[in-house]
Amino acid sequence: MFSDALRESVDLSLFWDYREVMLSGLAFNFHVFAASATAAIALGLGAALLRVAQALPFRVLGTLHVETFRNAPDYIMLVWVHFVLPLLLGAALGTRIEFHPFASAVIALGLVYSGYYAETFRAGIQSIPRGHLEAGRACGMSERQILWRIVMPQVVRRMLPEGLNQLVSLFKATTIVSLITVPDLMYRVSMVTATEMKPLPLYTGAALLYFAVVFAAASLVRLASERWRRRILA
Amino acid sequence: MDDMPAIRASGIRKRFGELEVLRGVSFDVRRGSVVSMIGASGSGKSTLLRCINRLEAPTEGEVYIDGVPMGFVEDRGGRRRARSLAEINRLRRDLGMVFQQFNLWPHMTALGNVIEAPMRVRGLPRAEAVALGEAALEQVRLAEKRDAYPAHLSGGQQQRVAIARALAMQPKAMLFDEATSSLDPELTEEVLAVMRDLAQRGTTMIVVTHEMRFAREVSDEVMFLHDGVIEESGPPGQVFGAPRSERCRQFLSKFIGQAR
Ligand SMILES: Nc1ncnc2c1ncn2[C@@H]1O[C@H](COP(=O)(O)OP(=O)(O)OP(=O)(O)O)[C@@H](O)[C@H]1O
Ligand SMILES: [Mg+2]
Repeated sequence: MFSDALRESVDLSLFWDYREVMLSGLAFNFHVFAASATAAIALGLGAALLRVAQALPFRVLGTLHVETFRNAPDYIMLVWVHFVLPLLLGAALGTRIEFHPFASAVIALGLVYSGYYAETFRAGIQSIPRGHLEAGRACGMSERQILWRIVMPQVVRRMLPEGLNQLVSLFKATTIVSLITVPDLMYRVSMVTATEMKPLPLYTGAALLYFAVVFAAASLVRLASERWRRRILA
Repeated sequence: MDDMPAIRASGIRKRFGELEVLRGVSFDVRRGSVVSMIGASGSGKSTLLRCINRLEAPTEGEVYIDGVPMGFVEDRGGRRRARSLAEINRLRRDLGMVFQQFNLWPHMTALGNVIEAPMRVRGLPRAEAVALGEAALEQVRLAEKRDAYPAHLSGGQQQRVAIARALAMQPKAMLFDEATSSLDPELTEEVLAVMRDLAQRGTTMIVVTHEMRFAREVSDEVMFLHDGVIEESGPPGQVFGAPRSERCRQFLSKFIGQAR
């Protein structure tokens, strides 16, 4: 009933034979993900705070950051950071500079996703009613206390669904880092393909693995955070 | 020392661009007295309160809390310098403010709202802040709601928590900006009852309100604000009973049946 080609392409036994190689590749996806997510969230919050600042130069700087990185395709950013940025820096410093592929991957993905996060943070910050801040000021709280005790806890709850979606996108985006030879899952798939000459079952295996990981992790986080998040709503 | 007013406003002017909202407002609030501020929408009542605790900086004039100027310090040579934001934050602790929109922090419980500033601003240890917070919630008759989030409280209860939040800082005076204006009539009474209670205990209060009966019964002094100046002021019996200003008379005529 099924053609041989189809049967072969969904046969996972080959992928299973290479499970250790594949899983250690997936570990690289996790590492790149964790590091670039941390960078993206920290930089994104910084850029968002610049965008809502009083002083115009800060706002311009924040907008520049967002527009530059949000509009850069991650694929191109990756190649550019890995191959062009070291040349630029090297020329500026007068030495030869090379980035470790892992570092390039984290910088590129961190920057691109910091653009998205900045917008999410900004929208969250601006959605907090002025009155909440004024109530804090009227009690003698400092602007810093108001930010960390009143604004951010609400922002995090409000942006959680969108922030989670961005984490999912970021994790999926880690599949392109093999392009600059980070030995992630996709990299392993191409390596094994080179010897086994059977790309389709390997890609099927990788697809299922990515899906299972993303779906399970995202569902778990949603489930765990929903009650906590909704408590502030009526 | 004893005749030092708790709050003194001296020549307050406030301009927003072209618009001059306050045009020279001066008054004293004696310690332990209740001053009601009435006037039409847009007459500058909220702006005046916000100038008192410096949520807005007055364009001109000065506010003194127990004789201490909010906006400047004078060195020994008599030279004035503007206060830093940190110094202003410090003075603001002495003025509790209650807003029309309650402005509770929705991610904290009732008690969490009440102990936040005592802990973060006054630096009290948690246990001490909780004791203070529970007493404040008791005072607004909401002790049993200490663990409820604002979303699960009625408007009247939220406003009472907001009052407790201000009281927990043990301020020298309380400022109320239309504390009952966004409440349904049946919820208004429970908030007014708490405010009456505070007045009876000798809390110094400035109350911006459209509740003329409350103003008449509770205040020591009533001020009618019109177009950024105090057009009429005096004991409630005089302002409500025999207003001298024609504008005040007109304004009050809209409330006939409520105050008299
Ligand atoms: N931040 C601001 N910028 C510009 N104009 C303002 C600002 N705040 C208040 N105003 C203006 O100042 C005037 C007085 O406002 P204010 O809120 O003090 O009046 P109010 O007496 O409290 O009125 P209401 O009874 O409606 O609360 C209004 O014309 C208002 O539009
Ligand atoms: Mg007002």
